[in-house]
Amino acid sequence: MVSLEPDFRVAVERIAGPEGVVAEPEQLRTYECDALTGHRAVPELVLLPGTADQVRELVAACSRHRVPFVARGAGTGLSGGALPVADGVVISLARLDRVLEVDVDRGVAVVEPGVTNLEITRAVAAEGFFYAPDPSSQQVCTIGGNVAENSGGAHCLKYGFTVNHVLAADVVLPTGELVTVSRSDPGPDLLGVFVGSEGTLGIAVRITVRVMRVPETVRTLLAGFATIDAAGDAVSHVIAAGILPSAIELMDELSLEAVEAAVAPGYPEGARAVLIVELDGPAPQVAEDAAAVERICREAGAFELRAAEDAEERARIWRGRKSAFAAMGRISRSYYVQDGVVPRTRLPEVLRRIGELAGEHGLRTASVFHAGDGNLHPLVLYDEDVPGEAERAQELATAILDACIDAGGSITGEHGVGVDKVCSMPKLFGADDLAVMARLRAAFDPSGIANPGKVLPTPRLCGEAPGPYRVHPLERAGLGERL
Amino acid sequence: MASVSEPATVAEAAEVLRSAGSVSIDRPGGDVVLSTARLNRVLEHEPGDLTAIVEAGIRLSELQAALAPHGQMLALDPPGDPTVGACLAADLSGPRRHRYGAMRDLAIGVTVVLADGTVASSGGKVVKNVAGYDLGKLFSGSRGRLGLIARVALRLHPRPAASATVVVRTDDPRAAWRGLHRSALVPAAADLLPPDRLALLFEGAEAAVARQVAQVQSDHDSAGPVWGLSPDTSVPGDGRGLPPGTSVWGECAARQARGAAVAFEWQECLLARPGPGLAWVEGAPERAWPPLAERVRAAFDPEGVLV
Repeated sequence: MVSLEPDFRVAVERIAGPEGVVAEPEQLRTYECDALTGHRAVPELVLLPGTADQVRELVAACSRHRVPFVARGAGTGLSGGALPVADGVVISLARLDRVLEVDVDRGVAVVEPGVTNLEITRAVAAEGFFYAPDPSSQQVCTIGGNVAENSGGAHCLKYGFTVNHVLAADVVLPTGELVTVSRSDPGPDLLGVFVGSEGTLGIAVRITVRVMRVPETVRTLLAGFATIDAAGDAVSHVIAAGILPSAIELMDELSLEAVEAAVAPGYPEGARAVLIVELDGPAPQVAEDAAAVERICREAGAFELRAAEDAEERARIWRGRKSAFAAMGRISRSYYVQDGVVPRTRLPEVLRRIGELAGEHGLRTASVFHAGDGNLHPLVLYDEDVPGEAERAQELATAILDACIDAGGSITGEHGVGVDKVCSMPKLFGADDLAVMARLRAAFDPSGIANPGKVLPTPRLCGEAPGPYRVHPLERAGLGERL
Repeated sequence: MASVSEPATVAEAAEVLRSAGSVSIDRPGGDVVLSTARLNRVLEHEPGDLTAIVEAGIRLSELQAALAPHGQMLALDPPGDPTVGACLAADLSGPRRHRYGAMRDLAIGVTVVLADGTVASSGGKVVKNVAGYDLGKLFSGSRGRLGLIARVALRLHPRPAASATVVVRTDDPRAAWRGLHRSALVPAAADLLPPDRLALLFEGAEAAVARQVAQVQSDHDSAGPVWGLSPDTSVPGDGRGLPPGTSVWGECAARQARGAAVAFEWQECLLARPGPGLAWVEGAPERAWPPLAERVRAAFDPEGVLV
């Protein structure tokens, strides 16, 4: 390990103050991973700036001393995007946690990066507004992390992703310069490039997001099917019929077993697959779409259909879905989550293929996912105490991603590439594609100090195999989930 | 004298870029004018996925005509009939940006050719995808200065079952907008035509459209009849100098085309689209790219081939 120069240490303490620098080995270990717990590295220092200006000065010091830095929000990321670099520093944005401005008449909120996703909605809820992207970790994950990952969520089927809801950001570039990137800038959409760049192009220190009017009506439907194929067909037909639900979520037999054991949401008895379809908007629109969705589900073979009559019933339906990942502990010691995407018409075929692959690897998979946009979250179940199972789980997870790529899909829909999928990037993109992406990165970060080793593959990285998954402390505490 | 080159394939386009001294794309200026007129095919359309992959030279009208029989559309309505490549290169949009966003929100993948002939793709053909940097966003608004946009994968939308336009007159556009923004109404488009008209487009199920139109009418003084509880009918506008029968959206398009877009802050303007925060003003100067954008341009085209 390369030790940091004493000069650098002096410089960052002068900027952030002694309370803003963590150097105790025990405290540093708190930051050794994000929610992708199989990858760990202890940073040299953790820096906790209290202002945007301090972030800028700290990054400038990193740039001067060529010290790699990794920005971190709540550490709930699932792809290792906030995994520290062993000879670098972590810059935590946790102390930049103020809502700076709310103006619902303009439909905007201006916040610091450490504000949680749900706090934005709380800040505008009294006026009947909300912030639309809703990753499952929204109680704890930060908007800065959402911007870095271009986070999605169950309702992005209708409302789009973080990138569709961020209007401007003040960004500290890896060179230490502070720039504002905005939807109204002339020239290339650098804001759009920055959102989803996984901390490799800079650190957002002030973010303007769009907030929206809460829809007039919400209707949640629950449909039980005898096979996952039938449920997958229903999804394809809903999309093809031109209906745009706010969410379509699918759970397979094994995940139903797990949630029934954990939270008993009372899903249709005997169902081997369950669809949750949520519609929102003007009441007559919702009524008409709900009737069409019910008809399509019945035609696809749904044997039980139920509509939530009130907010409480809707919450019960969602409770099962949202507890699914945590509930896996009931049926498996460990699991590994994937985030592949396939064209929606290919869903039934890819789900079958995943079943076959699981059989070939002698492992079980559970599927709980955002079916409406083809974003699969297959959970590969394994027991790390059984010799070889963790490795087989990793192989199966990779084979599943390959199947998604073969079907014309992608390796990640919302969790990001991070370190987790960096070695699958060459399967999705050619050498020229990756070289051009590297050119873009170098224009922002000529010294290569911003989150090195993430997003774009390097030969050194892709020779090494990652470790097995472990339960994250946040997850154990019931604060975070993997989906 | 500049020569015009009309490549029919991405490989030919790459060859043109690699071998020319200076190139301008679909406009005069370079030693070679690279025209995308022959890069105009629909390469793939999967109705069940609501996605399509097209070559960048296809005109919007041609694309919409190909999608219409499937009950689908690209939810983009900029003035005129630009190519898909131009829509992305200039990040064009029209009234329905209020609901569907601009071209950058509808492009899910791109293939571009850089000035040195390098062909690169990003994104893909799925609607949800965060793998790698989004070159589609980077090339949005790039105006031909970063490279050629050769192919674009698009997110499509179903054509609405019904649509209706209602135009209301208001003495206080701010109050009218505030009321609309805080209401449960979900217009697909909401344009302010200064000084005193607000044009709203509703799309969706017939009952939902009818109810929203009725609500607007009970809240405001009408500025004319409601038109079109079926698709594709239009409102006769009172636009200055426009031919009789021009719809209010035709008038919006004409006003948009006459001006340059700036951030909307309730200033004097030809047309305002408060939802996405845009106004069109006459004679607004073209703004220079920020230094970071110029840095990216220098990385993509170090020799300055693209003009």
